[in-house]
Amino acid sequence: MSEEREERRPRPRGGRRPRRKVCSFCVDKIAYIDYKDVNRLRRFINERGKILPCRMTGNCAKHQRQLSEAIKRARAIALLPYTAE
Amino acid sequence: MNRYELTYIIDATLEDSARKELIEKVSALIVANGGEVEKVDETWGKRRLAYAIDHKNEGYYVLVTLNAPGEAVKELERNLRINDSILRYLTVKLVEKQSRVKPRPVRTPAPVAEPAPAAEPAVEAEPVVEEAPAAETPAEE
Repeated sequence: MSEEREERRPRPRGGRRPRRKVCSFCVDKIAYIDYKDVNRLRRFINERGKILPCRMTGNCAKHQRQLSEAIKRARAIALLPYTAE
Repeated sequence: MNRYELTYIIDATLEDSARKELIEKVSALIVANGGEVEKVDETWGKRRLAYAIDHKNEGYYVLVTLNAPGEAVKELERNLRINDSILRYLTVKLVEKQSRVKPRPVRTPAPVAEPAPAAEPAVEAEPVVEEAPAAETPAEE
């Protein structure tokens, strides 16, 4: 079942596998994601203000958990929107 | 005693003197409840809110780092809720990890430190090598 779905997924032309994304927080060796760091957090929400899934951003699970917490805190004090539009 | 970080938003339409008074009041409240204020940061100051709160689009952000027992925070938050000029507040407990926030340039010192001792003997040897051809080339031309 899952294999079937894998096959149907469009591969990029040239037969090359898409490059494995790496977690930008691991790269920058960030131990704590600060909710006040709006510019960094902004990269992980879409234009509607939703948190992007790690399958799109390449974040590792550990940092994705921290990130979602940080974004929610930032929303609480109006640094980031709950919803845009 | 725990370390906390308190962020609160004051109504931007409040006059400067009244705002100062309010910030003082909050700090005094922390002390009165057996806490101590470590730092009051107003660098953000007036800032656009991401969404309107009480039909207001601007707010004055104040960041306070404090040491206080847990009950003090409870009392503090109760008082912040009462005050109409305070639009929002957020108290976050600081964990050990957080005091060493964002060691972003960590990657740079490591590679710099390593080649430095290795480069020194190389520097000593290099000028001799470099000077010789440098002196030769202008003479040849």
